Amino acid sequence: MPAAFSGKRPGLRLLLLLCLSLSGGSPADPTVTTQDASHSQANSLTKMQTGLNVSSPGPDLTTQEFKQETKEHVSNATFVEYEILLPGVSGTSTEKNITLDRATRIELSCRLDNKYSHLKSLQVTWKWGNETLRHINKTENSWGIQLRIWDNSQLGSYSCTLKGEEEMHAVFHLQVPKIEGKEKPIVSYEGDTAVMICKSYGYTPTAWTWYMTNGSEQVAINDSLLADKYVINRVSANVTHLKILKLTKEDDGIYWCEAGFELGKSKGKLKLKVLSLMVPLKPFLAIVAEVIVLVTVVFLYEIYSKKKEKCAADEKEFDQIEQLKSEESNGLENSSTRHRKI
Amino acid sequence: MPPLANAGQAPGPPDGGWGWAVVCGAFVSIGFAYAFPKGLAIFFKEIQDFFGTSYSEVAWVSSIMLATTYGAGPISSILVNRYGSRPVVIFGGLLCGIGMVSAAFCTSILQLYICVGFITGFGLALNLQPSVIIIGKYFLKRRPIANGLAMAGSPVMLCTLAPLNQFLFDNFGWRGSFLILGAILLHCCVAGALFRPIGAPTPPVKPQVTGKGKDALKEEVTEDAMEMGSPTKVPMEDKVEEEGGKACCEKINQYLDFSLFKHRGFLIYLIGNVLMFLGFFAPIVFLAPYAKHIGIDEYSAAFLLSILAIVDMIARPTTGIIANSKWVRPQIQYFFSFSIAFNGTCHLLCPLASGYTGLVIYAIFFGLAFGMVCAMLFETLMDLVGAARFTSAVGLVTIAECCTILLGPPIGGTLIDTFGDYKYMFIKCGAVMVLAGTFLFIMNYYNYRMLAKEEKERKAKEENPKPVRTENEGRNSWNKETTRDGPELEPLSKEQEGLKEEVNGINEV
Repeated sequence: MPAAFSGKRPGLRLLLLLCLSLSGGSPADPTVTTQDASHSQANSLTKMQTGLNVSSPGPDLTTQEFKQETKEHVSNATFVEYEILLPGVSGTSTEKNITLDRATRIELSCRLDNKYSHLKSLQVTWKWGNETLRHINKTENSWGIQLRIWDNSQLGSYSCTLKGEEEMHAVFHLQVPKIEGKEKPIVSYEGDTAVMICKSYGYTPTAWTWYMTNGSEQVAINDSLLADKYVINRVSANVTHLKILKLTKEDDGIYWCEAGFELGKSKGKLKLKVLSLMVPLKPFLAIVAEVIVLVTVVFLYEIYSKKKEKCAADEKEFDQIEQLKSEESNGLENSSTRHRKI
Repeated sequence: MPPLANAGQAPGPPDGGWGWAVVCGAFVSIGFAYAFPKGLAIFFKEIQDFFGTSYSEVAWVSSIMLATTYGAGPISSILVNRYGSRPVVIFGGLLCGIGMVSAAFCTSILQLYICVGFITGFGLALNLQPSVIIIGKYFLKRRPIANGLAMAGSPVMLCTLAPLNQFLFDNFGWRGSFLILGAILLHCCVAGALFRPIGAPTPPVKPQVTGKGKDALKEEVTEDAMEMGSPTKVPMEDKVEEEGGKACCEKINQYLDFSLFKHRGFLIYLIGNVLMFLGFFAPIVFLAPYAKHIGIDEYSAAFLLSILAIVDMIARPTTGIIANSKWVRPQIQYFFSFSIAFNGTCHLLCPLASGYTGLVIYAIFFGLAFGMVCAMLFETLMDLVGAARFTSAVGLVTIAECCTILLGPPIGGTLIDTFGDYKYMFIKCGAVMVLAGTFLFIMNYYNYRMLAKEEKERKAKEENPKPVRTENEGRNSWNKETTRDGPELEPLSKEQEGLKEEVNGINEV
């Protein structure tokens, strides 16, 4: 259960209020801003939260603030808002995936479409897994909850249910950034080098770790121990390279790259295939043989047709000589006829 | 179906028969030469990761290959002039194979530049030029169709190579793929085997030769060691003593005909084409990135290129058939200029295309225009300089085009980077091509008029009882005869005259 809702120490709350208001900045507006369900970019919605609106619910939250302050620098506090419109137009889903890589204050809300605002006696429940959450912010047509996430255990699916004549449901999935591996295997050859790359898009991990699968378990790759076999290189903040030298058949298999974020870890899968040099050699030799056969066929056909032509030409010559002889005996008239023909 | 073949010796281009087998060979050869550098792009990502280089360093491989293929044109021409098409193409095929097989064992990007870039590029150059040349030797009346069909090899090979390369890469990695591609490139040798040598298409000046007797004629025709690529060789053999002074220049010209630079038609073609190539390839290179830029997903963007290739495939032979029709053939240069200008207009209108449908329409028209231009690219050159000097002409043209071909996409890229907008690149390409088309149109109009004038003068001269043909057959009169190859009706009637003389020759003996 998220610690957001356990209440303690009101005195500390006053002290904190004083500190924050002294540090300046305008109080944040907790009322839900109207956004499209399609606007789900966390980065674009980040607001610097430096003050507290007194209308925010309960003493529970201050404890969270305190914990947050002790865990990170004040200036790093990020605040994001997400909203789902219910009952939802066909086409837009009533689920949203929210990616968080670091401790965040987050507000989730379900807004009722204006067309349905006439519905009275709506019962709204917020749930996290099976647990029901209290302390719902209610405004005119929307119901929201504020959360502080700083731990992996706080991630998961938060859902709101609006029960009236019909039931409307919306879910927010809070998760760490996903790392994509490669679906297609990387093909390499024995004795060669293989380079495997993992990238994180948009979020910078704090650490990268590589694992290889040995049977059914994953074994971490220690590149300092086996420096002439593995080389792990963090090319940039978001990219890591694993170079495997002197490949053998045993290196064939599945590898995992794990990115560590503040809020948890995420893995990407890569496959390595190690082939022997014989594998491409067979098609190569087959094609070369085919080419040789074709070239031979073409040349043989040419020799054959030349022989035929020569025979035909010899015969023709013979005929022409015969004709010339007969012409000479027939006179000039025949030759002029032949001219005109051609 | 050889129309004038039955007279016996050197009947003129067969325009059929074995010529169609030659077209098949040229189809394969030209296809590999144009499509192979583009098809390699699939491997670049993996090679870039493997060697740890930047994308531009890997893209150099393709650029070097393209540059070598075009830049080695003159060398190719010299070799064809000396040895004929067949040995050159077979050697080129072997070179390509060796290049790619050695590339499979490379351990640095520099070695890739040499193996894939230079060696394979040079092999492809030795494939491209001779294939185009031999079509001119086998066809005259149906030459545009033959050219259109042979040039259709490029999009067909590209459509075949792209998925094939992907399949090879998925199963064998880049090293295994290069090995197998080396074997596939050996099929150029098969194409070369089909290029049977043939005698000169237009009978060189006969009366002096027939003086030697029938045997000499027969010897020339059945000689298959060397094609009579350069007609100047025949008259030269007769008067080596007379022209001792010019022997050196003529010897160079025998290998590579630099006197083409005095040829009006050739110069027009050269300037127009060099200008056109500045804007020719850039739109293809940037079509997919542009589509992604305006929000289209990767697969649909790739599909645009497929549409382009398919339309291109159909457009090339069709253009060949249209160009061969009796209305278009005499004015083929105008048709060529029109297709270039049409191409340019497509690019100028592209920025107006909004959304995927607009781009699909653009891709269709672009494919059509691209195919039209490519189908007639070499046909118009043959039409201007004649089949005899085409060997040297194509070499000189390709090396001149080489510079602008290489400059085109980078200039486009710079425009895109500077302005952050693709439309300026399209406008630049469109403007350059419309300019080139207009230039060619005007200059060819002028050229046709000059040719008509020269034709009138020649006819006037012939009416005087001066025997033009038995005179000193130096380069000058031969030049005149070949420049008259412009309007295609001329050589046809010339052939008939030549034939009459042959028949006379036979009867004399």
